[in-house]
Amino acid sequence: MEDDLQSRVGVDYVETARDIVRDIVTGWAKTLTGLRHCDIRLEVQQGKEASVENGSVKQAGDDYSFAIGAHVLAGNGALAPGYAGNMLGTADTSRLGPAIKEMLTTAHARAVHSAGLKERARQRFPTLGSSLADLTWAPVPIHHRTIAAQYETDPLGVSLQHLIDIGSEASKAIAGLGNRVVYNVVWVATSMIRELFVSSDGIDIDSEYAQTEALVFVVAAGQEGTLEFYDSLGHQRGFEVLEHGVNSGPIQLPNLYDFSVTLGKDTLETAAAPAMKDTETDVTVILDPHFSALVAHEIVGHPSELDRALKYETGYAGRSWFYTSPGCDQRGEQVASELVSAFSDPTIEGYGHYLYDHEGTPAKRVYHIRDGVYEEFVNNRQTAALFGVQPNGSCRATDASFVPLVRMTNTTFAPGTTDPSDIIGDVEQGFYVSGHRIPSISESRDNFRISALKVYDIKNGELGRLYRNGAVMSDSKNFFMQIDAMGTDWRLYPVPNCGKGQPMQTKRMSNGGPSIRSVARITGGSS
Amino acid sequence: MKPLVELENAARDGLKQLTAEPEIEAAEVFVAENGTLIARLNYTSHIPSNGLEEPKSLANIGVGIRAVFNREGKRLIGFGSEASDISETGVRTALEKARESAVFDPEFVSLPKASDTPTVESPYHDPRVLELAQSDFTDAGWSVIEGALNVFESSEELLGVAGDRSRMAELGLIIGGDVTMLQERMAIASSHMPAVQSDESTLAMAFITAMIEKEAAKGGGWAAGRGLDVDFAAAGREAAESAIRSIRGDRVDGGTYNIILGPYAVTDIFNHLVLPVLGLELFYAGATPFLGRLGQRVGSSGLNVYDDGAAPGLAATKRITCEGLPTGRTDLIRDGILVGLLSNHYETQRIFRDVDAAEKLGAPPGQYIEGLAPRSGFRFARGGGRHFDTIPGTSPTNVVIHGNDSLPLEELVKRVGDGLYIGRIWYTYPINGISAGDFTCTVIGDSFRIRNGRMAEPIRANTLRINDSIHNVLGNVIGIGSKQRDTMVWASDQIVYAPEIAVRGLHVEGIAQHSENA
Repeated sequence: MEDDLQSRVGVDYVETARDIVRDIVTGWAKTLTGLRHCDIRLEVQQGKEASVENGSVKQAGDDYSFAIGAHVLAGNGALAPGYAGNMLGTADTSRLGPAIKEMLTTAHARAVHSAGLKERARQRFPTLGSSLADLTWAPVPIHHRTIAAQYETDPLGVSLQHLIDIGSEASKAIAGLGNRVVYNVVWVATSMIRELFVSSDGIDIDSEYAQTEALVFVVAAGQEGTLEFYDSLGHQRGFEVLEHGVNSGPIQLPNLYDFSVTLGKDTLETAAAPAMKDTETDVTVILDPHFSALVAHEIVGHPSELDRALKYETGYAGRSWFYTSPGCDQRGEQVASELVSAFSDPTIEGYGHYLYDHEGTPAKRVYHIRDGVYEEFVNNRQTAALFGVQPNGSCRATDASFVPLVRMTNTTFAPGTTDPSDIIGDVEQGFYVSGHRIPSISESRDNFRISALKVYDIKNGELGRLYRNGAVMSDSKNFFMQIDAMGTDWRLYPVPNCGKGQPMQTKRMSNGGPSIRSVARITGGSS
Repeated sequence: MKPLVELENAARDGLKQLTAEPEIEAAEVFVAENGTLIARLNYTSHIPSNGLEEPKSLANIGVGIRAVFNREGKRLIGFGSEASDISETGVRTALEKARESAVFDPEFVSLPKASDTPTVESPYHDPRVLELAQSDFTDAGWSVIEGALNVFESSEELLGVAGDRSRMAELGLIIGGDVTMLQERMAIASSHMPAVQSDESTLAMAFITAMIEKEAAKGGGWAAGRGLDVDFAAAGREAAESAIRSIRGDRVDGGTYNIILGPYAVTDIFNHLVLPVLGLELFYAGATPFLGRLGQRVGSSGLNVYDDGAAPGLAATKRITCEGLPTGRTDLIRDGILVGLLSNHYETQRIFRDVDAAEKLGAPPGQYIEGLAPRSGFRFARGGGRHFDTIPGTSPTNVVIHGNDSLPLEELVKRVGDGLYIGRIWYTYPINGISAGDFTCTVIGDSFRIRNGRMAEPIRANTLRINDSIHNVLGNVIGIGSKQRDTMVWASDQIVYAPEIAVRGLHVEGIAQHSENA
């Protein structure tokens, strides 16, 4: 039995698999007819998790996942993509080569068949079939790299009991805040993830990273019913994230205990506060950095994903207010006040950090908005080729069995130059919006209503009364153009649950910004 | 996929293996294989595109073990799983993971026990989907595109807008969405239910969006069924026809309107705002807008909602849950009264032992034994499938919404008089948290003005936001339509059979005043 346990797949298996994958992708795959390109992504995650409810542990686990994805671009005449994804296990390690060949064969068959149907559609629809194109990938530098994880406390060295203990301590502390706390859950996890990308054009990237995170959910009773808050803690580092927090530039995260207690206290305090009422007109609003992070995510990050701009997500997550149609887009246009700059940068430290994306493209900083003018979308190799720009390394999947999508990375407003206390101090009457909660965004992201954990009124430069259930609502461009202060207090926060694609892929990333002042409607509740 | 008998044998042999372990008091072996086949579409007339962007699949097979360990008189519950190996070795590996991770949960009572037997008669799935050829779902994807292109190319109205056939592509015609087919096989055996039970299920869905971008006209089309009999091309045609109907849409002033919610809008509201908060676990946690309202009015009289995983002929029907319990009908709202909740075995057992249960529910659980029965314990994940590597959560299956006095659309429109028909909404979220009941969403297509009791001009897509409360939607029903559509929304696991529902006095705001994309 001991032997079985020792032989479970772990992150080190990627090293063993690398040669097998490379031989097949750069050698055997050439026998597939009409092949233009193929790649294999292979990923092993090894880690521990625990879930604690009201101080009582409900579930724990120490496990691995092993996923693989195949992509082929092929056709006999027309050209089309095909994919296949599998969840594998330890039993597959003895037959990895045949398994990969089978997946490439499957993806190839889909590509070739689809290419034939594309050709047929072109002929059947003389007016509208001509836009059915043989899309290819833009070339990128051919790199061979092995990238090591960064951490202080190895996630694999942490005992499951220790993880349970730290989660239990946090959950008990929340429960101990008083009998108005009616429920809480603390979920904690720490893991190592290792990803391999090998393509027929010779790219061979082996990246490993640590990931440690927590999700805390608190329900508290108030005079007008219950209120629930949740928030996340997370970083691409080891177990030290939960034990000690993170203090690194814009990333300032408390340890799990302090994070949980603060969220518990906030929930209690806000549950007892009066409900916000709608303002009749636009008012001065100041967003704290945590709230700004979600605005950066929804209003800058998502519409800056080039697949959305090119309509790939029309049926799901929507289009982009930065791009309407060929020849009609916002690049080079003023979309925000000149105080506003925003970028995506996976090369900086963060929850969305990486050096190569899941198409083997080197990562880089992409400025979406610079001094108020729109500049560049994040893209993948197909959309870059289509758009006539260079790939900028922004294509990722939730795990290797899923098809990679264009994704924002560490996407943030850049810091400004105003002291945050002055941003509040200059306001005679307005609202201070603290902590993001739930977003609802129009399809092209040109309008938003985003709720806050807490809203305070501001009178004569000072914070006043606290309200619950407040939200900011505005047309995006109006809001951006009227920004008159960006703070120096730049922060990056983990966002663990960005959904995109079909089936829905949930991706982790960092979003951030400083304090921001503009004007918008404040909304309250309808119930 | 492996034959079902192999999964059944693995469950049977696995249970024997586990019950021979001295420390184990009770155990459950869940063996499952899933395939999700997806043809994801992206056709654009004004931008070069692949048409069928992603013909793809996700596949997995494995075993999951839940075991109750007796360690020095203390009962611990553990879960472990192993992918790609349903042999004795796989079961042993999963067991060791369960053993290593076992915890003491004071609220755990027992692994599932059946008090009833499944009533669903086979076959209720399409065996052809389980043995699908590579080309079949690719064909289905292209049939949607061709269905929509046929409508676009032959549309006189579109031609009129373009002015010339050679300029039709400049209108920015978009066809998006997907065809998805689910292949599910599972077998389960446990100490409490040692006879192996198994299930095979299939689901085929098309969820299509078409757009005439230059006109900000957007339409939806969808189809769902158990297999290859689904007319996928019809979903493409429907989406394109709906988009064409929305040409020359206009803005609507903000205000309070009587609104007919179309089937898709009803589904979106139920999927994001109603069904999640009818899970028993949220009553336990105190985080539902219906806290303490079991047995009380939560909607207008005449409004009925039930979930039925055993309904003959419906798309998401299954024989047993992923806990091995019979599927069946759970009435949730009957004549406007909350009478049942979605639950799994763990949650049902827990609420019956919770000293605060009557306060949380609004009535002692013993008064609602049928309404709290564990018929919703499924292991859905990753966009489809019954997954061996997760413990059962709570999920609906076939959700049916209907009225006592079902009305034709013409009658609903008459009752509304002057108002709006909202066909499709998006990003429908509980903006102030799930407990508050407030929601917001934007109107993205298939929507029209209603004037003088008649359907009138289309509403321009993406120019309206609804800001209101779920209590107002459920409680201010003017009338419920007689026709139900099988609908699903992005990333949902259930099929909702939704009618049109007319609601009094919902609040909308005009948005995106200066946007070129609206």
